Formats: sequence, structure tokens, C-alpha cells
Amino acid sequence: MRTPTSPACCDGSASALSRRNLLRAAALTGGMTTFGTAVVTTAPASLGASSASAPSVVVVLSLRGAADGLSLVVPHSDPVYYKARPTIAIPKSSLLAADATFGLHPGMAPLLQMWTSGRLAAVHATGLRVPNRSHFAAMEEVEDADPGSAARVGWLNRVLGDVSSGSPAQALSVGTPAAPGSLYGPEPVMAVAELSQVQVTGAEAGSDPHGTRRRSLGTVWAAESTPLGSGVRSALAASVDLLPALDVPDGAAGFPTSDLGKALASVSRVIRADTGTSLITVDDGDWDHHADLGIVTYGRMLNNTTDLATSIAAFFADLGPFADKVTLVTISEFGRRVKENASRGLDHGWGNVMFLAGAGVKGGRYYGRWPGLDRGEDADLKVTTDYRSVLAEVVASRTGASIPTVFPGLKRERVGVMLGQ
Amino acid sequence: MTFEPSRRSFVAGGAGVLGGVVGAITLAPAAHAAIDYTPGHWPATQVLPSDQRHLVSRFSYGLTPELATQVRAKGGARKWFGHQLSLDDKAYGLADWWPHLHLGPNNIWQLQVSGTRGGYRVMYDVGRRLLARRIISPNPVLEVMTEFWENLLNVPTNGDSHFTWRAPYGELIRKHALGRFDELLPAAITHPAMQIYLDGANSHKDQPNENLARELLELHTVGVGGFGEKDVKHAARLLTGFHIDNRTTWRAKYDRTAHATGKVRVLGFTHDNDKPDGREATVKMLRYLAHHPRTARRIARRLVCVFVSDAPNEALVKRLSKVYLKSNTRIKPVLEALVDSAEFKAAADRKVRDPSQDVVATFRVLGTKFSRLPGQDDTSAASLMVHMADKVGLAPMAWPLPDGSPQVNEPWSWPARVMASFDMHFKMAERSFPTDGITYRAPADWLPAPSITLRDLVDHLARVIHHRPSTAALLQGCCEAVEFPPGEVITSSHPLVEFRMSRLLVVLLDHPTHFSR
Repeated sequence: MRTPTSPACCDGSASALSRRNLLRAAALTGGMTTFGTAVVTTAPASLGASSASAPSVVVVLSLRGAADGLSLVVPHSDPVYYKARPTIAIPKSSLLAADATFGLHPGMAPLLQMWTSGRLAAVHATGLRVPNRSHFAAMEEVEDADPGSAARVGWLNRVLGDVSSGSPAQALSVGTPAAPGSLYGPEPVMAVAELSQVQVTGAEAGSDPHGTRRRSLGTVWAAESTPLGSGVRSALAASVDLLPALDVPDGAAGFPTSDLGKALASVSRVIRADTGTSLITVDDGDWDHHADLGIVTYGRMLNNTTDLATSIAAFFADLGPFADKVTLVTISEFGRRVKENASRGLDHGWGNVMFLAGAGVKGGRYYGRWPGLDRGEDADLKVTTDYRSVLAEVVASRTGASIPTVFPGLKRERVGVMLGQ
Repeated sequence: MTFEPSRRSFVAGGAGVLGGVVGAITLAPAAHAAIDYTPGHWPATQVLPSDQRHLVSRFSYGLTPELATQVRAKGGARKWFGHQLSLDDKAYGLADWWPHLHLGPNNIWQLQVSGTRGGYRVMYDVGRRLLARRIISPNPVLEVMTEFWENLLNVPTNGDSHFTWRAPYGELIRKHALGRFDELLPAAITHPAMQIYLDGANSHKDQPNENLARELLELHTVGVGGFGEKDVKHAARLLTGFHIDNRTTWRAKYDRTAHATGKVRVLGFTHDNDKPDGREATVKMLRYLAHHPRTARRIARRLVCVFVSDAPNEALVKRLSKVYLKSNTRIKPVLEALVDSAEFKAAADRKVRDPSQDVVATFRVLGTKFSRLPGQDDTSAASLMVHMADKVGLAPMAWPLPDGSPQVNEPWSWPARVMASFDMHFKMAERSFPTDGITYRAPADWLPAPSITLRDLVDHLARVIHHRPSTAALLQGCCEAVEFPPGEVITSSHPLVEFRMSRLLVVLLDHPTHFSR
């Protein structure tokens, strides 16, 4: 194998090896300036492990804008629910998978099969210990998940710090240009708005057989110690690792054409490429229904719920055998008020529901301790389960990362929604 | 023909041009000692001194040789800045190419419901006109400050039915962009676009909608920590009464029967609010909030964040807050104090261009000329640029949350953005996208002389595209990209011009300097 001390600049021989191995070789031996690629200077020496298949994959799906958990999982036995929502309540007769207390919004129909087969569960009345009604501040608080610290490090970045292979491709955000706060932190991660972006335009082997573009990029970015420099280096490194996903068949035809459907179709390809990506975030926007939330037969809540359920169902179907190692969890920055406002919408509240689907989930039932709904203009659904206790079960059950490291200071409540927890 | 330069030709090239310097300055590893990447020197392509470059760069959308000429004609960057502040809106009629931007809300809605042209397409037009103005406006400081306020008072160009009123909302902000915040704030908050977006429209006294009131306090004025839940509720009550004929004519009016009367107390503001028409009291509250010291601080902090540094210097924030309050919320004195501060002068090159700024700067530094084609959603550059910005990460004013697009570096430093910028730069450099309604500089026109070494050509390009001399690392990156040595003599018939000019240009576009403003 080529050693990093042999000249590679402009001599055209780099293409004799796969770029991926070349980058790895450079990383492991610690020399890279001769390659002119900055990709590997900041990556740890354990980079070589990253292309190994990930034993498990956790997908965190954020419902942005604060989804109304009382519509998604309706507490039909609570009389306050129907009194507080004269126009927008979901009738008991429309609910799916109803038990004595709860039932699913009818828009969840595409997921009913996963529910009845025990692969989908819901935990109600979860959230932050103290209400935070600002989207922005609450998102940051939820995603940092470290109330004692002012540092901007997300909980998924701490998971990565504990179990990292060193490849930025191990953690991936799909669908938005920036990764969510949960991935912020010292461990390098990758974010793509769409999967086609994993290749550097103009660096394809066909148009650039000597690898001049990547080499040149490496040279001009080598000394850039800013976050932008890290972003470029992560991009160049991760793009090498993620390229195989472009060769995996695209199952998008089986997904909704929504942003969420497209994003989950891409996530499925990445997982099926099986190159070590193990933590994935997807953002689903537009749940901030202050006005015109809609009713059981039409409207924004029904549309969003249907899209959510159809996309998740398509995702697990598209994964095929890989579904056996994938766990998906949904989270929202806070819930909404119990009582509807004069615009037939819901203002910012507190407690919410979380869904868990896939590997390791003890599904087919509702978890959490129901506090009962309060009457009054400004009543919230009270939080009885810290959302971190739910995430902690996923982390403990699926990743092997240390819970005290990932969720510092957390007093865990037992939820029991994940196997072995 | 082969473009493979042998190592021998590198050695010969380097030695030929710089003779004895070889070996004295070498940044390359030992094995490359023979390749000398000492940067070239092409002073005929003039650049402004670095302090002037910094000021003009922060307050424009890309410093080109043409803009530098205008700056010199005004006697330097600071005088140019003062002159810019004194200008009327010369760009007002500029790039007024999208007729639907002049339609009333009802007409835009009719186009939507009849399926003739969706409202989201009219929103593309809003973005198109903004980008076009940023590219060609003779008044870049006004464009920059319009963006600043549109972000603070964000009503996204995507999303719901506020598209009916969004175009005039942007023009309203533009009108006040160099004026007073105590006039801008009431105008913006009571505007139908904002009212629809944050559910102020049709908020009813029976159960007032808190959305607009909360964001008014949290985002538009005093900020987190400056108010309590009671302030939100009182402000929400005072803000009831603004009515829009939803989904019919979209006419805006005031509905006295919906207004919640009764005494309100928001921070230090109190009002009896005993009239069925609460507009006068609403404006008083908004003016009170505009003059609140916490608002002053918040605006000063944001200005420092946008124009100086992601980590605002507290002393500077404090100074600018005082200027803001003393000048009765006038923005010009605050901007002058900002650019004259030592903190500003020490902050060159530290801000990352966001996606729209990247697209606009790329159009500008490549010397492209674009024109209007007859269509509205056609393949012309003027139409496509809004989608180019979207693909890089965000279309202009399309941040989908009320807090406005992030004005700090980190969200624009992520791999996805970087990769998308590389894609956009590459296609612009090779003139492959967009292709219609745009004129690119021909490859040979990038040569400043009939015959020039690659080394000096890179220096010339750095002066045009980065507005500064080249560096050794840039030269090395360029040589690696085009596979020719620094001493290679380039003429218009050289294969580099014919086949690899795009690969050379893209090194400058993908460079850290072009990513910053």
C-alpha cells in the first residue's frame, strides 16, 4: 500500500486505490499533507473501524413546532378532554387501538399493523420537568438534555462520544441543511439535505479520475480551524463513507412525496448500505397549530398525522431485513394546551406523547402515568415522565452508551417500553 | 493530447520562474521541495486596503472591482458608507420584473384557488426580487439592512396564507430599514402579513391567541428573561381586534367586537384600554417596547452578532444600546457607531455567508450579467437563483420559524451546506447552471494579459474574486486542481483556458475566503 510519505500530488496515481482506503490509510498513519486532503487530519486514529456494519441504528424523529399529543394519542376516558375541545376533539368512535384510557388518532391507521404486532408503542405525559413554552429555548433544552450545563452539546453527540468509531458518517442528519441541537458537539457528524449531496460535485471518478478536486479542497481548507473548516473536513470524510448508499436501490416510490417521506426514504438507503451509520436524526416541521387545527375528517392535524404514520410505515417496510436493528423514536419540544383557543387551535403547553417503533420496543400498548387533565383556560397536560427517561431506555437498550454520560444527573423513572429495561 | 504534467515539468516550471527563491520558501513536504508555491504578484488588478475591504464586504453582498471603484470615487470605504446612509432608495424600481408582486391579496388568492399560479410561486418572486436587488443594487447598505430587519421580524416566504400579504410586508420593512425602530415595529406587527403568520389576525377576546404576543416579546423586542406569562396574556388581549377576511377577500380591517377591553399591563406599560378600538393603545405599547432598554440591548446585540462577531462583545453591545436609546431608536447613528468601533475593525473575515449571500456573491464575483426572460417560473437565472439558494440551504427569507434565519456561523458550517455550496460553485464555474438569461465571462476573458504565468494568474483571480492577493496555499490548491505547475505560461490558446478554467475558478469559489463576508 502507498505510504503517506510518497508523493501523490498531481501525479495521478491516487486513483489506483479506492479513495476511501487512501483516506483511511492516511488517517491511520497520521500523515496527510502529501495527499493534500484535510479530511483526515482531525479524525481520530480509530477511523478504520467506521465502515463496519452498525449493530443497531437509532432514528430520532423530531416533530417541530410542538405536536399536539392529545390529538395523536387521545385520552378518551378523561371527560375534561371533550369539554375543553368542543370543535377539535377526536370522537371516541374514530379512535384506533383504543384501550380503556387511550386511543390513536385515525390518521395513524397506516401504523396499526405495527401496533398490533407489538412493534409500536406510545408513552404519554412526557416532557421537560419544568414547562418551557418557547419553541427555541425548549428545543435547545430538550436536545442538550443536560440541565446543569450551559455547554451546547447535544445528547446524541454524547452518545457518539461514548461509542464513536471516529467517522463523521456514524451520525447523520437528513432533510435539513443543519443538524439539530441533539447532534451538536465535539464529535464530528454529517448532515445532508438530500442523499445525492454525499458526493462532491465534480469529484466523481468519471469526471475527475486523478482526484484533483478533493486534493485541492484538502489543500485550501487544511489550515482552517473554524467550525466551517470542521464542516468541510467532516463533509469530505463522511462523503467517502456514505457513497455506497447511492448504489443502494431507492425505495422512494413506496413513500409519501412529503419532505418527511423523502427524508425517510434516504435514511433507509443509508441504513441498507450498512456502512456503520448508527445515529440518525430527521426533522419533521410544521406542527405549530395555533389556529385551525382541523377536525377528525380534515385539516392540518389529520394531514400531518397521516403523513407521519404513512412515512414511518413505509420506512420500516422499505428497510426489509434491516428493520430488525432499527429503533425509531419521536420527540417534540413541548405539548399543547388542553383547551382550544378562539381560533380553533391550541397554544403552547407542556406534556406530550412520544412514539417508539421497531427493534427492542415492547409495543402494542400505552405507557406512562396519566395525571388526569386539569380544567381551566390555561391548563396543561402535566408531565409525569421525564422525556430523558424514555430516551435513556432506548440508549441503554440499543447503543451501549453510558446513561450518566449521555443524560448527566438524570433520576431515571422506569418506563419499561424497551426490552431489558 | 495529455494534460499530465510530469514531475519534471513542475521542477522546471518552478525553477524557471523564481530561480534562486526555490528552496528558500517551501510549504510543501520534503518530497516536493522542488515545487515552489510562492504566490504571484499582479498589482495591476487593484484592491482596497484590508480595513476598507472589511467594511464594504460586511455591508454589501460581495466586493467586486466595480464596487471598489465606486468606493474609491467616494474617497474611501468610510465615506462611501456615510454616503450610502444618506441615499434615497435608488433600488426601488430595480429588478421589478415580477408583476404578481404588485397584485392585491385577493388577486393572489384568486390565482391560488383557480390553480393559475400558486401563492408559493408568488413567494418565489419575493425571493427573486430580493436576490436580484442584492446583486445589482447601487445601494447595498440598504439591501443589507432590509435583510437584517426582515430577519428580526421574520414572516417566512414559505408556508401558509400570509403569502397574500407578504410582498408589501417586505417593501414596508425596506421603507423603514434605515429609519427608526419605533416606527418600524408598529408598522410590522400590525401588518396583515405578520398578523396572519402569527395568528394575531382574528384573535378573539373570548380566548385570545398568544402566538403573536409571545413572539413580540421574546423575539421582536425584549427577549427571553425580559417578560413573564402575565405580560404575554396582557399583550395578547391588547392585540385582539385585527381582522382579516380569511379565505375570501383577505381584506384587513379592525373588528371592535373582537377586541378585549380592560386595563393591560405589559412590563412597565399600562393602559386603560377602555375603548372598543384598541389600535391606538396597541401602537403605544409597541412604541414603549421599541424604547425599552432590553429591546435596545437585543437589537444592539443582534447588530453586533450580524456585523461584528458571533460572540458579541458586551462593552460594544452596551455602547450601541446607549446610542440607540439616545437617538430615539434611529438606526443610522447606531450603524455609524458600530462601524467606527475598534471591535468592528478587528473582526474581518469572521462571518460565514449564508446560502443566499453565497449565491449572490458568486453571481457578483464571477462578473455574470443576468436579464429578464419573458416567463415567470422559467429557466432563466433570475428565476432559478431562488432555487439555487434553497438548494444550498435556505431560500431568501424562507426560514420557517419566527426567530428568523440564524445569523451566526455554526448553522451554515454544516457538511450539508458545504457540499451544496461546492455543487453550486462548480456549476456556476463551469457555466452549466444556470444557462438561460445569464452571460458569463468567457474563459479567455479571465486572463489579464495575453501571456501570464499560472502563479500570477492565480494572484489576479484572487484579487478579483477574493479582493485580496493570493496565498501559497491557494496557489497550491489551484495547481493541484488544474494539474499544471505554478510557472506554466498561460495564453488564450493554452489547454487550461480551453478545458480547465472552471476547475481553476472553482478553487477560488470553494475557498474559505469566498465562504466568508
